[in-house]
Amino acid sequence: MTAVTGYEDTGSLSRATFFQIDDSWRSATGLGVSVAVIDSGIDTAHPELTGKVKTSVEARVDNKRIVFDPSEAGDSAGHGTACASIISRIAPEAELHSIKVLGAGGLGDGQAFLAGLEYAVKNEFGVINLSLGTTKPQFFAPLHDLLDRAYLAGCVVVAAANNLPHPSFPSVFSSSLISVIKSEETDPLKFGFHFGEIIELTAPGVNVRTAWPGGGHRNLTGNSFACPHVAGMIARLLEKHPELTPFQVKSALYAIAQENEASSAGV
Amino acid sequence: MSDFEPNGLNEKLRVLIETVDVASMLTEPLTRSIQDLLVVSASQMGSAEASVLVRDGDEGDLLFLAAIGKVAEQLVNMKVPAGKGIAGFVLSSGQPMAVSDVGEEESFYADVDKKTGYSTQTILATPLRHNGEVIGVLEYINRTGEPPFAAFTPEQMDRAALFADAIASLVNAYESAKLFHELGEKVLSVDADLDISEVREWLSTLRGSAEHRKTMDLAIMLREIASRGETETELCSQLLESLLTYLDAKAETGFLKY
Repeated sequence: MTAVTGYEDTGSLSRATFFQIDDSWRSATGLGVSVAVIDSGIDTAHPELTGKVKTSVEARVDNKRIVFDPSEAGDSAGHGTACASIISRIAPEAELHSIKVLGAGGLGDGQAFLAGLEYAVKNEFGVINLSLGTTKPQFFAPLHDLLDRAYLAGCVVVAAANNLPHPSFPSVFSSSLISVIKSEETDPLKFGFHFGEIIELTAPGVNVRTAWPGGGHRNLTGNSFACPHVAGMIARLLEKHPELTPFQVKSALYAIAQENEASSAGV
Repeated sequence: MSDFEPNGLNEKLRVLIETVDVASMLTEPLTRSIQDLLVVSASQMGSAEASVLVRDGDEGDLLFLAAIGKVAEQLVNMKVPAGKGIAGFVLSSGQPMAVSDVGEEESFYADVDKKTGYSTQTILATPLRHNGEVIGVLEYINRTGEPPFAAFTPEQMDRAALFADAIASLVNAYESAKLFHELGEKVLSVDADLDISEVREWLSTLRGSAEHRKTMDLAIMLREIASRGETETELCSQLLESLLTYLDAKAETGFLKY
């Protein structure tokens, strides 16, 4: 049993929340939870991923607007497949949805992934994995708006933090999304947190063995691969506690991270 | 009437530019500095192979601008199609990543390695950013020593991000110099009728940061005004001077806010 305390501030509504989550999520599989992967696509034929990707769409520029068409293009860069495999190892029964915004030529940096996020929010996917970001200031306002919409729609957005000496969006928005940075932890279920910092959760992201397009595997390092660990954990939580709001999910993750750290410290 | 007439200033400039190799004068010191910084940073990273890739056109293609290591000469000017390989991903996602076993399977690296005869096994790639825009990718390949090479560590990934900042400034300066040179060539070419609108159109198609384009556009505008005659030039310079005075006053008092 994990006791969770949080203080929710949505502007119009401020309240303290107290709730408890039982340990059933520890053996959950993400059954019935939809997880969107906004990335370079997913190789749906990879042995680790067959039957797990429910829908695949890709961004296309149509008359200066970005639209999404059903996609059979798979994944040319490998990154989306890697992230999907991490999610599906933690939440093997979660429904994956691939939103391909990278890899195709002509899509502006940031613009396509913004459109991908909008698509995911419109479709109300339970968890949205964003292992990418932008440092362009002009995307600050639209992203903020989209994240608010995600919050109200009950979508939990998880983003990889930037380990560069620049603020990157959306991972610096602390209220409406969960930001993740890599740790050298090897247990895929063990995540921690940095209290009081913008970058909040830490999860395994160093030399993570992941699926790679074409059926193979790679060992990858980056915040990009820490992020899907947390997305998988959220899918487990939401399977057992579908009533949780994004804010409560975040509070629960903090409480669990604290327990994880206490147990590693032998307390 | 403009002074862009045979035997005029334009002609003299053209001859001067032909005599002095402006292209190398402007860009060579910068590529050399990038190269030097690559050598220093690579040794810090425990690697002897490194390269800088820059955007090539608007479609997300990349081009090797500088490289050090065994196959450096073969790499420079080699093109990488959009979205291919780790570099393509890092360019479009803005996220750094490291791969510890690129392997021998069919991949972008297999293609490049086939051309260069090199064997890429571990790679660390980080975005080059300038003013919030990803302008290229910095890569370190393999660690020094014998294969199998150790993976790049998370600390090295953070350190690479700092080197990337310095290299990005140089790459940006290089791009500006190149742009300036190309602009000069275009304006001063023998059979150019100096159709300003054509130059503008060409400028608008140029790749590079919006900042460059705006500055260049402004320069072209001034050039156009100057070609209209002395009165127009005088008026323009008065307008600009008063704007500058206003801006200085604004900066001093902090009172006049937009």
